[in-house]
Amino acid sequence: MTEERKKILEMLSEKKITVEEAERLLNALGEPESGSAGGKPSWKYLRVLVEPGPGSERGDKVNIRVPMKLIRAGLKWAALIPKHAQGDINKALQDKGIDLDFSKIKPEDLEDILTNLDDLTVDVDGHDKVRIFCE
Amino acid sequence: MLPMIMHFKIRQAGRRGIGFYFPIILVWILAGALLIALFPFILLASLVTCLRGPGFTLLLVYPIFFSILWHLGGLRIETKNAENEVLIDFP
Repeated sequence: MTEERKKILEMLSEKKITVEEAERLLNALGEPESGSAGGKPSWKYLRVLVEPGPGSERGDKVNIRVPMKLIRAGLKWAALIPKHAQGDINKALQDKGIDLDFSKIKPEDLEDILTNLDDLTVDVDGHDKVRIFCE
Repeated sequence: MLPMIMHFKIRQAGRRGIGFYFPIILVWILAGALLIALFPFILLASLVTCLRGPGFTLLLVYPIFFSILWHLGGLRIETKNAENEVLIDFP
């Protein structure tokens, strides 16, 4: 919380200003900064949940929770992969139909992806339901 | 925060599962000792490859490795079906 916001709330608690005035002042200050793009809260974990759908035979359940800081650290690690190895990885991904170059993903891009990834649900061939979200 | 303990659980159909808390700090101590022992070689490799090759970026392995270890806390991988169950958790 910024100093200005604190001051406004203190003035409100001391009844120096009315609720309406406090609201007006807070609006004038703009949206609070949350440390991530778009004013959304900064997420702590990336969650991947796989739940068996009605057509699932084995009833596979997956519950993965990855700390965001670990993903960021992992991206830095990926930057250390030698160029020729990165080329091989990209080629292998392209062979699988994934046109993605990990070396070009920067931490800022990741922030953008994650802040816009509120809740994504993927239905895999009607068998399993994959839910990816941040918390 | 560096995770000190790892919760590991595995179960197969028709068998009794195993579940235990492993003091992962022991692995970190060993890994730390190994990294310290390897430091002169990595430094030498970075000097040798300074002009052509990765050079001093090799030394970044240390901070990034410790950064990964530090942020492992909270990682949880759990898979379950009718036959098998595996859980790896860094609480």
